[in-house]
Amino acid sequence: MTSSAAIFAIAVLAPLGGSLIAGLFGRIIGDRPAQAITIGLMAAACASAIATLFSGVPQDMGTAVVSLGHWIDAGGFHANWSLRADMLSLSMVAMVTTISLCVHIYSVGYMNHEEMPTYRFFSYLSLFTFAMLMLVTSNDLIQLFFGWEGVGLVSYLLIGYWYDKPSAVAAAIKAFVVNRVADLFFLVGIALLFLQFGSVTYDNIFAVVPAQVGATYHLFGTDWPVFEVIGTLLFIGAMGKSAQLFLHTWLPDAMEGPTPVSALIHAATMVTAGVFLMARMSPLLEFAPGTKTLIVLIGGTTCFFAATVGLVQPDIKRTIAYSTCSQLGYMFMAAGVGVYQASIFHLTTHAFFKALLFLGAGSVIHAIHGEQDMFRMGGLWRKIPFTYAVMWIGSLALAGVFPFAGYWSKDGILEAMWAAQSGPATYGWAMGVVTAFITALYSWRLIFLVFHGTPRDAHLSEHAHEGGIAIVLPLGILGVGAVLAGVLLDRFYIGTAQAQFWQGSIVNGAGAAVMNRMEEVPGLIALAPSIAGLLGIAVAYLAYMARPELPASLARSLRPVYLFLLNKWYFDELYDVLFVRPYRALARILWKGADEGVVEQVPVGLARLTVGTAVQAARTQSGSIAIYAFTMLIGLVVLTTTLLFVH
Amino acid sequence: MNWIIAFPELVLTLCGLVILTVGVVQKKSTNPFAACSMLTIAAFAITGFLVTVSPDGSGYEHVFVNDGFARFMKVLSLIGGALATIMTLSYRGTSGGGRFELPVLILFSTIGTMLMASSDNMMTLFVGLELSSLAIYILCAFDRDSVVSSESGLKYFILGSLASGLLLYGISLTYGYGGTMEYGAIRTVLIQSGGASLGLMLGIVFLIAGLAFKLSAVPFHMWTPDVYQGAPTPVTAYLAGAPKIATFALILRIMAGPFGALAPQWQLLIEMISVLSMVFGSLAAIPQTNIKRLMAYSSIGHMGYALMGLAAATPGGIRGTLVYLTTYLFMNVGVFAGIAAMRRKGHETTDIADLSGLGRTSPGLALMMAIFMFSMLGMPPTAGFFGKLMVFSAAYGAGLYGLLAIGAITSAIGAYYYLRIVKVMYFDASAPAFDTRSPSLAFLSVSMGIVTALFVLVLGPVTSAAQAAASALIG
Amino acid sequence: MTHDLGGVGLGPYLTVSAILLVLGVFGIFLNRKNIIIILMSMELILLSANLNFVAFSSALGDLSGQVFTLFVLTIAAAEAAIGLAIVTVFFRNRGSIQVEDVTMMKG
Repeated sequence: MTSSAAIFAIAVLAPLGGSLIAGLFGRIIGDRPAQAITIGLMAAACASAIATLFSGVPQDMGTAVVSLGHWIDAGGFHANWSLRADMLSLSMVAMVTTISLCVHIYSVGYMNHEEMPTYRFFSYLSLFTFAMLMLVTSNDLIQLFFGWEGVGLVSYLLIGYWYDKPSAVAAAIKAFVVNRVADLFFLVGIALLFLQFGSVTYDNIFAVVPAQVGATYHLFGTDWPVFEVIGTLLFIGAMGKSAQLFLHTWLPDAMEGPTPVSALIHAATMVTAGVFLMARMSPLLEFAPGTKTLIVLIGGTTCFFAATVGLVQPDIKRTIAYSTCSQLGYMFMAAGVGVYQASIFHLTTHAFFKALLFLGAGSVIHAIHGEQDMFRMGGLWRKIPFTYAVMWIGSLALAGVFPFAGYWSKDGILEAMWAAQSGPATYGWAMGVVTAFITALYSWRLIFLVFHGTPRDAHLSEHAHEGGIAIVLPLGILGVGAVLAGVLLDRFYIGTAQAQFWQGSIVNGAGAAVMNRMEEVPGLIALAPSIAGLLGIAVAYLAYMARPELPASLARSLRPVYLFLLNKWYFDELYDVLFVRPYRALARILWKGADEGVVEQVPVGLARLTVGTAVQAARTQSGSIAIYAFTMLIGLVVLTTTLLFVH
Repeated sequence: MNWIIAFPELVLTLCGLVILTVGVVQKKSTNPFAACSMLTIAAFAITGFLVTVSPDGSGYEHVFVNDGFARFMKVLSLIGGALATIMTLSYRGTSGGGRFELPVLILFSTIGTMLMASSDNMMTLFVGLELSSLAIYILCAFDRDSVVSSESGLKYFILGSLASGLLLYGISLTYGYGGTMEYGAIRTVLIQSGGASLGLMLGIVFLIAGLAFKLSAVPFHMWTPDVYQGAPTPVTAYLAGAPKIATFALILRIMAGPFGALAPQWQLLIEMISVLSMVFGSLAAIPQTNIKRLMAYSSIGHMGYALMGLAAATPGGIRGTLVYLTTYLFMNVGVFAGIAAMRRKGHETTDIADLSGLGRTSPGLALMMAIFMFSMLGMPPTAGFFGKLMVFSAAYGAGLYGLLAIGAITSAIGAYYYLRIVKVMYFDASAPAFDTRSPSLAFLSVSMGIVTALFVLVLGPVTSAAQAAASALIG
Repeated sequence: MTHDLGGVGLGPYLTVSAILLVLGVFGIFLNRKNIIIILMSMELILLSANLNFVAFSSALGDLSGQVFTLFVLTIAAAEAAIGLAIVTVFFRNRGSIQVEDVTMMKG
């Protein structure tokens, strides 16, 4: 293994080491050493990742694969542990390790009031990072699925970290189950891929894709194009992981976990795995236009839906969670028109400012000792000014105000939507612009409710103070990223240098034209998102600062609409009726009826029969000599008769 | 010379008479019980040695025969008698300490069993059987002040006499239609005539019926639970061992010898008896609460399994039966030694519930009982497993698949009540502890436990001895 | 030497002994009175077998049957003595010799 390969391997494997040490020996070595080890190894990983990204990798590594060992060799099916080092995975690795390092450091401060020892938390964080890294550096779909399931598992462990809270446990199970449903489709997609192409390794698949464009399945009397079927199945898997519409119900509940978890998993990394999958499978998706249309529609509707729901949430973390859901919709829209580079760009900038927002919210929660209801906060900007400042920065980045990070990526996406010039893409563009307005609206709603006005609960805000250096430092790092990431990376990700940057790790088939047309979008259209954003800030100021009674009266007069939005468009209730209740009834029938009624009765019935017969048999011993003698006689007669018949 | 062949029996009889005299002429003050018991055990030991060195041959005008089979069975009977006598050392009936007639009666009964094993003639069969049985009738009623003891003696006597009568009638028919009472002569007659007349078959049926009674095989088993429960425990221990072994010797000798040519006819009868015994023995034991009664039903079941080997009518079957009987003897003596130790304040307490928590109050005894229970249900590597294994494989080899299946099912059913005892001993709340065990019982239970648990070590010698016995019988 | 069995042949002897057997067997379980009846029935059974032996011995011309009969008589006597002793002990404990009263142990 060359030295650069070794460094790359360190980037991926160091978090695993940290997780194992903290997890297995944390009880012995104690919390502080466990934290130190995980943070240290995480820092090493981050440094290695960034070094690999910048140290001339595009020239001498290309898309080399660092092989780590054999895994499966079963008949014609081969899968190996390997690290793929192309620009897509390198950029993801760098982003993941950076955000993860910030979260690790932040957690030292955030979790220092826990009763239970926290080595478990840090072990899980590092384990999660390892799984995510395995996902993005996979060279075949099986290792990707390994990472996919791994992040799902650790997400479950971290959401339910406070396992004595029933709501946390329920949320963890919900997250896992919803993802499981999506993973079923994903797995079928992988299986079909193997059947069609004979391999699950990316290079092998992508090499054969152009030759099999016209292939179809014949099912239910009609022909289905193979690529469409596989693409849709993979997309459904991505929908689950990235909380798109219909499979989104787990994301808001996932806020039951500690805030660092939300920042790492549900803002920057795990939920972006779906987008990553789309980008990784771009050589395949470019030949599945139907799937891409589906992606645009789902993405567009999701971003609008999530924004409307986030508008009326009282919980600070849930607002930001819906914001994540909404921004993911943007990323999928971009992927749906073939501009995967833009979606990865937005993914990266979003990682910075969303993590920043979450960690800032965590700082607020930490400052006022666990309160999360925004309607009980207020007037905190004097008490925690640093947090106030970074929340402004994050919100500006989120709203897409020039020159913050979100401006570059979000505008890039919306320009691409317009440039695609198709019905679904224009629908997506419209949704995107409206959502930009709503995004700004709820972001400043949050800021004004939390930091301005008179404190609604004076006791809480009295003792509010900034967290220690452990909390403040990551906020600072991420703030810098939220400001500079867009302006620095635009050229490489979607700008003029994007071809040299990506080096073919993302394939634009028909969408190549869209990439070129992005620069030719008319000026007003290009400015539309920024205008929408500024409009949103203004309306928020109006509603929450100038005329604070306005939102309440609006909610009263439009009560059905308000309730519809507050109850998340009643998706949870719908799923409860459609799936949960029938399933419970079926399970009950199988339990009581089939298992206890039939299967158990066999041995129980036999035992009862035996005992009944036994009691009867024992009763034959009546104690009377006459009976005994008579029985002997009968026995003799029977034997004689038998003999005479046989003879 | 006739008396050389019958030397062991003659010696034992002489010893018996001597010990009886010793007991009678003792002064009133000293209780001769202990001395007589010891002398009896010594007599058994001497006789056992004499049996092993006794020569083959036939004596007294084809009345008496000695061969490998007879030696095997006689040694087993002597062991059974000796162990039972050791058990009587601790016996304290309701009327105080034991009396010297007890070991003497056991000795006389053992002489009867030895005669049964060496019989070459119907007359010896009957005389040996009656000698053994008469002594046992008295032994059952030995506890003169106990109603249940007298009742058990009475029941055994009445039903036993009935069985003896039927047996005798069968012998008479066989004699009449066979023309002679010697086994060898009957065999020759049957082979030459090529078949059997109706009267002869009828005689065989009556014979089987009478012998099945002694074996406590269904449907002639009904005396077993009451007699086992009522008789004093050492007597039950003897009763469950040596007489059954001797009766088996008798049946094996008759069926393989004179009536060997008629195997297809009586095989079905033996199969029927075997099945009924296995099924009834395992089922009726389930609701029992008295452990001696439980052991009675267990005995019925065990005899069913042993009969399977006979039903197979092959040398392997006979060998299997012999091994089974050996293991059965040791298991049974061990269990009854444990049961005899169940005394509280001098009274015998034989409910299963009295065993509760024995694992805590008396771990050694509980361990031994557990070993015996596992052996009874046939758990490897204890002795019982090997017995069952050999009998089952003989049945399989002879194509008796139905019998085999029923045997397996009843084994499984039987496991219930054996394991229930283990469960009661180890998992139930403790009952008050028993009186301390007397040394003889401790010795018996421990030694039998060791033999049962480590039977695999002596499996080879026992099997080859049984093989030799079987060959001597058939070949 | 073969006797002619008094001119009637073997059949009647066997019939009589069979009848005796049946009477004895039925006497054991049909009587409700007392145990002594049972003892008597038991003697009947043994006697029937004895009759058989003598008849067969005469028909076959083989002396062993009659010799055996003497054995059986002795044994029957011993048996009867033992039986009566046991009945006496039982009566001492139980106070009755009704057949129904011999049912302390059952099940």
